[in-house]
Amino acid sequence: MKMIVFEEVDKSFGGRKVLRNLSAVCCGGQITSVVGPNGCGKSTFLKLAGHFMLPDSGRVTIKEEDMVLQGEELRMSLAYMSPELRFYPRLTALENLSFFLGLRGIALDGRQYEEVLERVGILPEAVKRTRVGEFSTGMRQRLLFCVMLASKADIWLLDEPGANLDDEGRAMVLREIKRGASEQKLILLATNDSRERGAADEAIDLSGN
Amino acid sequence: MKPSTFQGIKLVLRKELMTGLRFRAAWAAMLMFSFTSLVCISFALGGTSAEPKLFAALLWILLFFSSLAGSDRVFSDEEAEGTLMALRVYAPSQAVLFGKMLYEFFVLTVITVLLLPLFIVFLGVETKEILLLLCTVGAGLWGISAAGTLLSALIVGAGVRSGLFSVLMLPVILPVFLPAIRLTEAAFGGTVVSLSFFGGIVLYDMILSVAASILFDYLWYAE
Repeated sequence: MKMIVFEEVDKSFGGRKVLRNLSAVCCGGQITSVVGPNGCGKSTFLKLAGHFMLPDSGRVTIKEEDMVLQGEELRMSLAYMSPELRFYPRLTALENLSFFLGLRGIALDGRQYEEVLERVGILPEAVKRTRVGEFSTGMRQRLLFCVMLASKADIWLLDEPGANLDDEGRAMVLREIKRGASEQKLILLATNDSRERGAADEAIDLSGN
Repeated sequence: MKPSTFQGIKLVLRKELMTGLRFRAAWAAMLMFSFTSLVCISFALGGTSAEPKLFAALLWILLFFSSLAGSDRVFSDEEAEGTLMALRVYAPSQAVLFGKMLYEFFVLTVITVLLLPLFIVFLGVETKEILLLLCTVGAGLWGISAAGTLLSALIVGAGVRSGLFSVLMLPVILPVFLPAIRLTEAAFGGTVVSLSFFGGIVLYDMILSVAASILFDYLWYAE
């Protein structure tokens, strides 16, 4: 089981301290929500958790049993979703899917594609010819989710995963994160959505930081 | 499941080719610059014969500035479109580095294949050692691709813009240019030249590529 450990982490931007002496433990098989008002450091917390950013002081470690995961080994075991994440607008959705999954060594057959697309509510015909640049923001969000599900990552770092989605899309997000937790995935969920917060087993509140 | 590095490089190279063919701005900028400059040089010289040394220097100036018109986009285009983060999440570092480096080499090779015959015809350059010229150009482009890819990644990683790429590129690539000009002069003039110049370029290219490979892991994984 994977575990993310924050030990006395500080992070500042332009002199403004966003995270102050933060310690936390997030475990696999649980949904941990990261909550707090805008600008409190939710996205920063997720980036630090994924080692996309280094803390100013303190330590963030990702462990599996007693082994610390780093570099490529760590990156290959995580998936990250954020409003700032984009797929290639000039490639079709299918080309994007094949590219990103191929980088993880995953090749899906036609039936597996249909299955994962159906889980996120995208029509298989839509991915074949439509370039991602022509997708609506909600469809792009679903496509990000689709790659994350198909990538078989053990750690999901989700920054506002329900943003830009309709009610059905938000329900899909809730359903899939619950399913992910039941499959022992470590799920970190930065959100201000009350339904998403309600689905969490644990919460890290950054309001006081 | 972990893909082999070779498989990853192939995927990144294929993706670069597909996006490059569907968005030709980088190609167009490099081609327009090189052809416009060539026409200007051709008019300026006005058919007068010049020393092989001058032709050699002009050729490398053209290739260098043409590469500057596109090389800095290797990573900055990804960042501008927001795709760099997706690539960081899903792609292994070495696949990205060498996939992009190979694409850069491919683009520069295509431009050189189009530019070199025109350069020889427009300026009336007599080429006496074609094999030497081709080997020199190949080794020089390898150096430009390696340096360009690494510097583009460093500049995007450092979050800076505005001409820094050009400022850094020249000193990094100078150890390739100086012997390349000497070898190209020999290829144009048919003079004898020590092959250690060529060995020097290849050695520097290898050092650049290995250094890029080591440094890029630190950039990509932020450890």
